[in-house]
Amino acid sequence: MNSAYAKYVVKRVLQAIVVILLAYVFTFVVISVLPGDPVTNTLRNPQNGFTEEEIGRIVAYYGLDQPVYVQLWESLTRFVTGDLGVSLRSGLPVSRMIGEVVGSTLVLASSALAVALVLAFAIGFGTQYLPKRYGQGWLRAFPSLFLSVPNFVIGLLLINIFAFQLGLFRVIDAEGGWATFFAAVALGIPVSARVAEVLIANLDHEAGQEYTSVARSRGLGQARLFLRHLLKPSSLPVVTVIALVVGELLGGAVITEQIFGRTGIGSLVQRSVTTQDLPVLQAVVTLAAVAFVVVNLIADLVYPLLDPRVKLGEARVEVAA
Amino acid sequence: MNNPRTFRMLACLAAVVVLAACGPGAGADAGSASSTPKQGGDVTFLIDSLGDTWIPNNSAISSFQGHIWGHLTDKLVYVDEKGEVSPWIAESWDQNDTATEFTLHLRDGVTFSDRTPLDAAAVVANLDIWAKGDPARGINPIGLFPKTYDHAEAVDATTVKVFFKAPTLGFIPTLGYHGSILISPKSIALPAEEQADLAKDIGSGPFVVASWKEGDSVVLKKRADYDWAPAALEHNGPAYLDSITYKIVAEPSVRTAAVQSGQADVAYNPSPQELQSFSDQGFTTATPRYLGFVNGYAINTKVAPFDDVKVRQALQHGIDRDEIISTVYTKDWLAPESLFQSNVPGATDHSKDFAYDASQANQLLDEAGWAKGADGIRTKDGKQLELTLYSNPYLATSKSVDELVAQQLEKVGFKVNIQSFDVVTYGERVKVGSPSVAAYEVTRSFIDAGTVAGVLTDANKGENWFGLGQSDQKLVQLATGVASAKSVDERAPILDELQGYVLQQGYFVPLTQIVQRIYLQSPRLHGVTYNGIAYANYYTAWLS
Amino acid sequence: MTALAVPEAVVRRSATWVPPTVVVSFVVVVVVLSWSLVPGLFTGQDPARGVPADKFLGPGGAHWFGTDHLGRDLFARVVHGTASSVTSALIAVGIAVLLGGLIGLVAGFLGRWADAVLGRLVDVLLAIPEFLLAVVVVSALGFQTTNAAIAVGVSAVGIFARVMRAEVLKTRRAVFVEASYLQGGSRWHILVRHVLPNASRSLLSLGVLQFGYSILLIASLAFLGFGDPPPASDWGLLVSVGKDYPLAPWLVYAPALVMIATVLSVNRISRWLRRTD
Repeated sequence: MNSAYAKYVVKRVLQAIVVILLAYVFTFVVISVLPGDPVTNTLRNPQNGFTEEEIGRIVAYYGLDQPVYVQLWESLTRFVTGDLGVSLRSGLPVSRMIGEVVGSTLVLASSALAVALVLAFAIGFGTQYLPKRYGQGWLRAFPSLFLSVPNFVIGLLLINIFAFQLGLFRVIDAEGGWATFFAAVALGIPVSARVAEVLIANLDHEAGQEYTSVARSRGLGQARLFLRHLLKPSSLPVVTVIALVVGELLGGAVITEQIFGRTGIGSLVQRSVTTQDLPVLQAVVTLAAVAFVVVNLIADLVYPLLDPRVKLGEARVEVAA
Repeated sequence: MNNPRTFRMLACLAAVVVLAACGPGAGADAGSASSTPKQGGDVTFLIDSLGDTWIPNNSAISSFQGHIWGHLTDKLVYVDEKGEVSPWIAESWDQNDTATEFTLHLRDGVTFSDRTPLDAAAVVANLDIWAKGDPARGINPIGLFPKTYDHAEAVDATTVKVFFKAPTLGFIPTLGYHGSILISPKSIALPAEEQADLAKDIGSGPFVVASWKEGDSVVLKKRADYDWAPAALEHNGPAYLDSITYKIVAEPSVRTAAVQSGQADVAYNPSPQELQSFSDQGFTTATPRYLGFVNGYAINTKVAPFDDVKVRQALQHGIDRDEIISTVYTKDWLAPESLFQSNVPGATDHSKDFAYDASQANQLLDEAGWAKGADGIRTKDGKQLELTLYSNPYLATSKSVDELVAQQLEKVGFKVNIQSFDVVTYGERVKVGSPSVAAYEVTRSFIDAGTVAGVLTDANKGENWFGLGQSDQKLVQLATGVASAKSVDERAPILDELQGYVLQQGYFVPLTQIVQRIYLQSPRLHGVTYNGIAYANYYTAWLS
Repeated sequence: MTALAVPEAVVRRSATWVPPTVVVSFVVVVVVLSWSLVPGLFTGQDPARGVPADKFLGPGGAHWFGTDHLGRDLFARVVHGTASSVTSALIAVGIAVLLGGLIGLVAGFLGRWADAVLGRLVDVLLAIPEFLLAVVVVSALGFQTTNAAIAVGVSAVGIFARVMRAEVLKTRRAVFVEASYLQGGSRWHILVRHVLPNASRSLLSLGVLQFGYSILLIASLAFLGFGDPPPASDWGLLVSVGKDYPLAPWLVYAPALVMIATVLSVNRISRWLRRTD
């Protein structure tokens, strides 16, 4: 631990904190533009037959008649102390609502990541060792195909085949083993394409290097060659991609959870959007940003230790699209 | 309460039920009267949503949460699907001659599931919170509770006197309305944040909350010492079923497929068009009608050209209701006979006043000076005969119905636009009386036909559905007559005349009788009852 | 970035040779674009008005993709839904390229405090998951397809800004730009003559890829009900409505296949373009 590294750590941590606070303010400003709120909305249900005057009195109780900047300040000061507020829709504390569902999403996202990695490495291995006449070329087209199929179509298809036709799992038992597995497959397939693309590019690059052909001429077994000389050097950029797909897993969960009927962060977002439950939406988006920032911070801090070629303060390899 | 042995038994039972569950059942008929009810069993009910909050006052009228409240709580009176009122927690009641004072005589020995008594003091606490809510604590009053409520007092432990500022014939039926659920005074006193926790909302019903998870499910288990069911249900003591699980499954097709494959027992709100194929396969389908207005358009007479009675009548006669039923619905749906559902006491048949007749509609529009152009759309003074329909987001079939109505009206020369919004935007942009909303699609249940007096004009903060204010003398006179009637017999002829007048004037354009709650049910489930607001009650239900 | 299913030797055979999959992809894209421009040429049926008696007919000669719950021709609905599904993706890409490009350009070219401020903004945009950001923005703007397109565009601004900034920095450090500085070239001159042309190339190839991705994202938003309501017929909405009728599976598969074919073709072309660069 030299002092240059320590300085780097401090700088990155401070940057991360600034980004999280800015993400909070940014989200607040965006969603404050939302028309209406769930309180007014429930009251306006024609079944109620309330007058505007009655509605106004109750809206005032929730402080929704205050100017936006007052609401922002109050909400931000609460957030800094760890208080996420109360849901306008359900009336429950937001932290309780998120706490109830976060486990399900973590299980789904980590299973999906596992599925994505297995798929990506299988494709990566295949592109290096499958003989051309057995469709190596087609294998290379897989990531592109995976990126072209909307994940709701994958989900509907999997449910139709494995739940309805084959009866492998019960759709109403959404958190069960097989149900979770297929939800993870639906969520993991597009993610696997991103990982596979980077992996294939790097494997191709490494395969063209001199030391690889030397190793090959020494008669090293294919599998060992793959593991030792191709996979290891290729996996560093893959770690970077994984840090970046965290967001994609969380975003994709909105659709996957809805289709598979899971109760997680994604379905919470869906409900909060359709009912304009601002405090919940605010909390979830901010927490997603926190997750992303923290994972990337860790990657940033570990990276220079792993690979001495990386200069401190330089952005890591750009992996856009 | 959460006795581990009971839980194990439940778990075993659940396993047995799952194993026994097979594909589409052989013997289809659910209501075979000869079989005797069996004890035990667990029912899974798949529902699109469990609504927003559990604060009792804020959620009791929800089409979703109403199912849970109906099992957790009791009401003072029971209203069956024909609108007939019978005793429940109130064993009997009487009123003074002017219908401004009511006395409720309560059943003795009823307790909430926290063991506190459901006595006169508890009823007074409930009446107060229903009528006034508590805006300072974020608690709404319940919708449609008579605004004429003054106060209530406990005379003794089982007698409550209720006072009104004006004649309120609808009071007793309203006590059977889905909003009027009896909650323990301890729960009522909790702050809103705690009332939002369903486990803390204590009722006196045949089931209690076993567990619940926001946005996911509610599990109810039976209360062993329950013994005060309404006589009308013809069952006493605890429920047959051990538990009911309400589980959210957002996709309608997933809900129905789960019932078809025996994974669940009831699917809520299946697509109406698929009902026929389900009953062909031996499943039970139920389409109970609630008491209320039929599905239809309230016409804003302030918006041109609907200030012209002939244009309104053309609208009335230009809609083919039979085609709506055969295309969007099934034969389980009924054509409207009035602006009220035909099971509402006091509803009379006025179907002739709005029968489908395209040639009459064309003639009316010709007379009103709207001439057909080359494109088939009528114009007058350079303006097109235009109508915008706003699909009602609270009724799943509304979009399809509007799309069909648009096709029908275009045949007689209207240019019809359709706008459909989500619940939020709809609440913002589509309001009764708004100058851009010429036809407001009504879906509204009520318990007593007297409710109609509050929507026709703007007198007494009325909702003024037709934008008439108090300009239509005849309507004002009829509305006042209904509101101030002191007995049902006195009110009946006025109600009849009112229905005829509103329909002849084309103020209200009926579409179909409304079924807002549709059930697809496993043939193993028997004995389900439906009350006046079309909620399924599983207190009397059992599994074979 | 990624190699494709084309053997190296074949590519070298001739510069003008185009692989058959790319030809097919171009055909698909041309057909889809014509659907969106002149839908009436491809189907005589009305996408919004159906024959109620003909509901739920399976695919066949009279109705290529079958009919829906109101007896409307599904092929007509898919064709007429193309315009909003495809043009909205163009709007999204446009926003991402212009807004992201501008931010990246300013940050990279001006440097110092502009870079610091815009850099944090980009950090925030990248930190919020793309789809989540799109969902939040579309709910703020209102549930409409155009708004969904704007939301998808905004959610991609961060990536474009970052790529643009990196390109600008790379070009600025390049020898010929340094030389131009020394010869007294103005900043404006350097920007227009050297930085922009160099940076825009990678931005454009990213844009083509983003086009296919945007089609999917907008369809996902439409699927969740955040786009135009029926009788509009965006592809995602068609799938979403169709899934409620399991007895008529073509209501899901037909629009889904059209969508997959389109995006796959766009992706194929974008890869081929990058390879021939």
